[in-house]
This record gives sequence, C-alpha cells and structure tokens, in this order.
Amino acid sequence: MNNIDIIATIIALLTMFSIYSLMAISLNLEYGVAGVPNFGQALFVSLGAYVTGVTYTRLLPPLAGLEAIHPCGSSLGAALQLRSEIMATQPLAGFLNLALTFVIAAALGGLVGFAVSYVTLRLKQEWYLALVLLVGGEIVRIAVRSADDLICSHNGISGIAGPFYYLDDARASSALFMLLALALALAAYFYSEGLIRSPFGRMLKGLRENEAVTRSLGKGISLARAQIMLIGSVIAAIAGVLFALNTGFVNTNDYVVTLTLDIWVMVVLGGLGSSRGALLGAALIAIMDRFTQVAAIQLNMSGFPIEFNYVRFILFGLILLFMLRFRPQGLLPESPLTTHAHEALRPRQPKIERRR
Amino acid sequence: MPLLELKNIRKNYGGLRAVDDVSLTVPAGAIVGLIGPNGSGKSTLIHLIAGADSPTAGHIFFDGHDVTALSSDQVFQRGIARGCQDPSLYFKMTALDNVLLPVKNQRGERPWYAPWRRFWQDEETAHAQTAGDMLEQVQLRKHYDKLAADLSGGQMKLLEIARALMGSPRLLLLDEPTAGVAPKLAYEIFQQIARLRDEHGLAFLIVEHRLEILLDFVDYVYVMHLGRLLAEGTAAEIASHQTVRDVYFGD
Repeated sequence: MNNIDIIATIIALLTMFSIYSLMAISLNLEYGVAGVPNFGQALFVSLGAYVTGVTYTRLLPPLAGLEAIHPCGSSLGAALQLRSEIMATQPLAGFLNLALTFVIAAALGGLVGFAVSYVTLRLKQEWYLALVLLVGGEIVRIAVRSADDLICSHNGISGIAGPFYYLDDARASSALFMLLALALALAAYFYSEGLIRSPFGRMLKGLRENEAVTRSLGKGISLARAQIMLIGSVIAAIAGVLFALNTGFVNTNDYVVTLTLDIWVMVVLGGLGSSRGALLGAALIAIMDRFTQVAAIQLNMSGFPIEFNYVRFILFGLILLFMLRFRPQGLLPESPLTTHAHEALRPRQPKIERRR
Repeated sequence: MPLLELKNIRKNYGGLRAVDDVSLTVPAGAIVGLIGPNGSGKSTLIHLIAGADSPTAGHIFFDGHDVTALSSDQVFQRGIARGCQDPSLYFKMTALDNVLLPVKNQRGERPWYAPWRRFWQDEETAHAQTAGDMLEQVQLRKHYDKLAADLSGGQMKLLEIARALMGSPRLLLLDEPTAGVAPKLAYEIFQQIARLRDEHGLAFLIVEHRLEILLDFVDYVYVMHLGRLLAEGTAAEIASHQTVRDVYFGD
C-alpha cells in the first residue's frame, strides 16, 4: 500500500466531502427540514454540470478574446486544446468564466426547482413531486444526451480544468480547488443552520409535522415548499458545477438515479433534519467511496476476479437498510433547537456581583 | 347582534344527513356548550364553522359577515380559532415553537430574510414575549422549551388553546377539550377557559361529553340528537329537561 500518496488522498477526500456536503445539505433542507421528498437531486446537480459543459465550450473562449470552436465532431480535439490552453495561460478568463458558470447554474437550478415544485406541490400528495422529479431527471438526462451539439451527446465534454489549472504545481492547484469547495460547503452549512433556526425554518418544520394544521393557520404552504426547493436546487446546482470541475468532464452517465440515492443515503445516515448530520453523512460516504475505489484498483492489480467498484452499491443498500431498521433518526439526530425566541424567554439568572 | 350565528345549517354526506336544519347563536364573551350522543353531528358542525368543510345549505355569520364559503385559513384570519379532539400539535417541536408558528406576517418567515437574524430578531423577541404571556395564561410558561410530545394530555390541550390565542381570536371552537384528561385536570381546563372569557372577553363554543363539568361553566347549552337540535337552554334548564335526559342519559 506504499504507492498511495497520503496528501493527494486527503485533498481528494476533502474535495469530495465538500461537494457531497453541498448535495446533502440541499436534500436535508428539502426533505429533512421541510418534508419535500426530492427524488430528483441528480437532476439539479446535473443542471449545474451541463451548464459547466456549455460555458467551458461557448463562453470561455470569447471571455479570453478568442473565437469559440464547435466542441463536438471533427473539431472536438481542437476545441479541447483551446480550452486547456486558455485555462493554463489566462487565469482571469478562467475565474470570470467560473463565476458566470456559478451564477447561471444557480439561476437555472433555482428556476427549475421553483417551477417544478410550485406546479406539482399543489397536488394533494407531495409524493407526486418525488415521482415527477425522479422521472424528470431521467427525461432531461436522455434529452441532453440526444442533443448532438449541446454537450456532444454520449461523448460528453472532457478536459474541463479547474480554475487553478494555470499554476505549475498540480498539487497546489488541486489544494486551492479543495479550499474553494470547502469554503462553499461551509457557507452552505452556516446558511442552512441560519435558515433552520429562523421563523422560516419553524414554518417548514410545521409543514413537515402537520400539513393540515399549518394550512389552517393561514400559511402559504405551496409557496413555502417551492421556496425551499428553490434554495435547495441552487445549492445542488452549485454542487454540480464543482462535481464537473472535480472529475474534469461532463457526461450524462454521471447523473443517473444512483446519484440521487447516494445523497439520500448520506442524509438518512447522518440524521434527517440535522445539518451536522448531513456533513457527517457526506464525510462517511466520501470516505467509503474512496475506500472502494482504492480497494478496487488494488484488487484488480492482484488479479481478484470481482469488480470491487460494484460492492459500493451493495454496501450503500445495506447501510440504508440497517439505518432504517436500527437507527432511523440517524447518527446525529435532529435535536430541539434553541432559537432566538427560546433565548428571549429563558429566565434570566440574577447576576452575582463579585466581591473585591 | 350575536358574535356567531348559524342559520338553518344542513350537511349531507351522500344519503346521510349529518346536520339537519340547525340554527344557533354564540353571543360575544359567552361560553356555549354543544352536547349530544355520539354521532349526533356536533363535530361536523364544528368542522363546518371552522371552514374545514362547507354546509350543503344554510348560512354562517360571524360578526355580521357571511363566512359560510370561507376556507379554514380565511376563517382563522377572521378570528375563529379551533382546538381539535386529538390535540393536533407539532409534537416534535417545543411548546414555544408551537405557539409562535401561527403568528401572521412574520418577517423571518420570508426566506430572503430568514438566514440573517438581525433582520427579524427584534420582531421575534416581541413575538416570543407575547407567546410567553399566552403560555402563562394556561400556566405552561415554565414548560416553554419542552417538546409538545413530552407534555401531559391535559397540558397538550392547554397548549392548543394557547396556540389558538396567538391568532388573537374572538371565538374559540373546542372539540372535547377534556377528552383523555384526568377529572381534576379537566376541571382546571374549564377554569382556565372561564378565566379567558372573564379577562379577555373571548367567546367559546365547546363540544363536551363530561356534562358534570361542562354544566358548571356554560352560559347556554344546545343539545343535538341525530343531526337535529333537540333542546336548548341554560345549564339548569338542560339538566332538568326530560327529553334530554331520555336521549342523553338513557333514563
């Protein structure tokens, strides 16, 4: 095992942890807190990734003052070389392109999340939304795959370099990308904590606990649910951008239903409704992913007859089953929150003056 | 003018006439009882007043306005709050959160303000103080940070009343406020209800099976049987009403 680079492994792990955290925080807000069963997380993550594929091929060259080359077909190689050169030599164009990618991805994800849920959540059962999103994710994936020119059909877009690719030191560039992902994940964590502890979070939990009562209290429940879906989808789309940058390519094969299920495993493992639980779930899944990948390579090299990568799916299924059977509240369960209102009502301790 | 007035209310469920030509009134600041055997249509009537369902025929007036066709949240906005037979609380939330949730137009409920506390904390402090007062009304203030699920059955009923009070209603519809509560506590719940009427001028329409307690507190009683009004009168009149005794007590 001495051929494993510890530092590179840690960087890769922390990057994956950050990206998974964003996905888990998004689903935790939607389902854990508000009770909206989003079975289309892969759809919203994929939107971010597809936007990345489009901006890196259409937007990046003009930003660098060059003409875009059609990314697919006969000019595929030339286009790939062009974007690699720009990323290696013009960091400013790269950063600007990334910033715009985040904005467009967030806007698109948010818009789709809001629109889909506002329409579907008016139906009697919120589980219709689960079905619509589950199927919708697949429809969008197949549609994007069938579009020859958008992200080059089944070839996908490869050679998507991170924003720090211009650095000569590959390790420094991946470390900086890790820091970017970590910063975004932390921001999402604090944002989600603030949201959960606010009156908005209280209303969302009310929706989850007892929809009929919350409606009779005069709360606009369809709107509130669409709003949390908007917020969650924005976070998921940002995770999708980072996911594409981290793997270096955009391919529709990465955004199948199993990705959605992975995110559900993270949230159920960590504890529904708990942001810290979402982080823990993301960390455990990131570590397990890495472990199965490394084990698969090692076992392959030693001539082991089983493809260990598939063990991952069995493992995740077992985790989900065991959690639901023995610890449905998760490893770090949701706890009653001490919100601002609770602090306001807390009986004041009489101040004891210190004698000199 | 009475606060609540029901005129010839009828409700059919398929071929079943659950409520048949019922007219009743609740004056402002009065405790009015609604009694009758199981299946006599009392809960259906409460359902109709609260806007959870609309009557087949007849009209409901609240404070002089026709509220017959309004939805449950519109009825709530007008000032009619409702407590259910099984306490429909948010059991996994604290008592305080249960009381704070109904507050209308909270700034912190808007998602764009929500994550930034400084935009709503002053308003929230004020709401929390009001909620504390409401909890005090039903002697639950010291339990403000307990989960609703951890309260006793009687305390849950009181918490439901406190929550209803938060919408500053003028009429409370209570469906069996003492169901599943020990007799001593049941009496205390009614004492709280009487106090709320005396101190805040609230009106109550209460469905209750425990006549021995109810008749001690009500100003007026309506008796239902098979969807129709069988009798009405003061507590003393009802207690000595021969037909009521026949139907209700079976003697």
